[in-house]
Amino acid sequence: MSNKNSNLSILLKGLLLENPVFVLILGTCPTLATSKTIIDALGMGLAATAVLICSNMVISLIRRFIPDTVRIPCYIVIIAGFVTVVEMFIHAYLPSLYEALGVYLPLITVNCIILGRAEMFASKNTVFKSALDGVGMGLGFTLALLSIATIREVIGAGTFAGIEIPVLVDFKIKFLQETPGGFLVYGIMIAVVYKLTHGKAPKKTKFGCESCPSFAVCGGVKCDNTAKEAK
Amino acid sequence: MKKHLTTICSLSIISAVVAILLAATNHITAPIIKAQENEAAFAALTEVFPDGEGFEQIDISKYKLPSTITEAHSEKSGGYVFKIETVGYDSGFVIMFGIDANGTITGTKCIKSKETHDAKNTYGKTLTGKTKDTIDSVDTISGSTKTTAAYKNAAKDAINASIILGGGTVDLRDEAQILNDNLSAALPDGESKFTSLFITEELDGVSAVYKADNGKGYVFISGENFIATDANGEVVSDVDDELKLSISDSAKQIILSEIKEIDISRYEDMPKQVVKAYKTTSGNYVFDLNAAGFGINGDAYYNPSGEYIMIKVSATAEGKIIMCETISQKESNGIGDVCAKPEFYSQFNGKEETNYREIDAISGATITTNGYKTAVSKVFEAIKILKGDG
Repeated sequence: MSNKNSNLSILLKGLLLENPVFVLILGTCPTLATSKTIIDALGMGLAATAVLICSNMVISLIRRFIPDTVRIPCYIVIIAGFVTVVEMFIHAYLPSLYEALGVYLPLITVNCIILGRAEMFASKNTVFKSALDGVGMGLGFTLALLSIATIREVIGAGTFAGIEIPVLVDFKIKFLQETPGGFLVYGIMIAVVYKLTHGKAPKKTKFGCESCPSFAVCGGVKCDNTAKEAK
Repeated sequence: MKKHLTTICSLSIISAVVAILLAATNHITAPIIKAQENEAAFAALTEVFPDGEGFEQIDISKYKLPSTITEAHSEKSGGYVFKIETVGYDSGFVIMFGIDANGTITGTKCIKSKETHDAKNTYGKTLTGKTKDTIDSVDTISGSTKTTAAYKNAAKDAINASIILGGGTVDLRDEAQILNDNLSAALPDGESKFTSLFITEELDGVSAVYKADNGKGYVFISGENFIATDANGEVVSDVDDELKLSISDSAKQIILSEIKEIDISRYEDMPKQVVKAYKTTSGNYVFDLNAAGFGINGDAYYNPSGEYIMIKVSATAEGKIIMCETISQKESNGIGDVCAKPEFYSQFNGKEETNYREIDAISGATITTNGYKTAVSKVFEAIKILKGDG
């Protein structure tokens, strides 16, 4: 029962309590760039989720064989490989989405969320738990993108997933479609999520290693190792 | 050592596995992507060639086509589609042209441009259905002269390329090259270097005179003919006696003509547009004029240059303009600067006080045209003053 609760917790924490976009403040660049329309946001979110699940599982599977000194290059190679695979499939089967996502699709490789989960979670947990973490974080990223995109598209363009909304289309606030508008919505959403999770989301009461949102998972082991190596 | 080997092997194995995964994915997706690209390319081609059934790319390096052509496709019925890169108002732009087997434009599409005027999107449609002979009949869009001129030239290049690919021959030289080649053919001793002479004498049937830079002679353009004389004015071209006599007479007038500056400060009523005045030995007049066009009278919003249009005009003592030429100008780019083109200023040649207004205005440049006309009109006033009957 406890194990089931633990698995469910891993799956759900990415949706709100440890949402990578609104709580961990990761992946800001693709979030702002691809949240103009719901379709783009959904495409980017699902693409990143697919890469996140696959990379998490593979990294977890071979974590014992990856030397610690080259773990980051290894993660990057694996993530870049999956990103390229996803990119090729999107190019082949969803060309309009491929055009819309543009450079942000290959840039998933350096998305902090994916590398962050590889380093903080997948490299220390089982394949199953890593897959759950990938699903949770991926869906959290997708939901965050969709929530920002819904506001920006509905109010900024007067459409929902490309379909015109009768009254809103005549009173659209174009500013929300621009980058500053994206920042504004992003900021408001962070505030809303903070309010919703008040007392539950990780609070920055401490500084240094312990202030890291992933300290609960990492336990400060990596920081200790880094400190020892430095000495 | 073992630690290093383990590190190298781990990274190499991971890289190799990823490479295999990518190769397998590429094997699956590459044909689909290629098919999509072909479909998109076909769609783009049929947009400018709606009746096209099948296209095949042509290796343009095998043909001597206009330099603006960057891509060519043949169509099954004998037509072609060309991709042309040219320069418009202030940037390069890329246009697709469809040309059918009869040399008629079937469609155009601007696929890349930073032109500010909407002409980049709308002007192409007006060219559809036009041929090499009718393309110049399409009106230029006011305020977008350079963009529309670039469009027309690109269309001509596309039609010329279709003729060449169809086995025909086309003269790809520009107007300046053709002129210089004709001058050189008439006077080979001129070594292909000629300077246009400002004509101060009324020459029978002569529209332009060029002097060889090495002093070996002159070339007179009379109608379609290029007639050369030696430095002494003796006709060396093989023409009939009547034309030979006429050109020889013209040449001697040119050679013997001398001009002397008149002190215009002595004439209180001399119009302010007249900067300098000269009189020729034959009694004709030459004037340097300042025309207040857009550079002087323009709206501050459009940042006028603050400079006059400098014009040179020669006229007979009876008040008939022999030649008019724009010497310098800083009018609006692509609009008023048309006043520097021979097509505009040569309209004044042969005009008198009664009919000088009958020239075509520059489209979209009313202030430039009015300033120019006013300055030229002062020639008639100045002649009267200089002759003492003003």
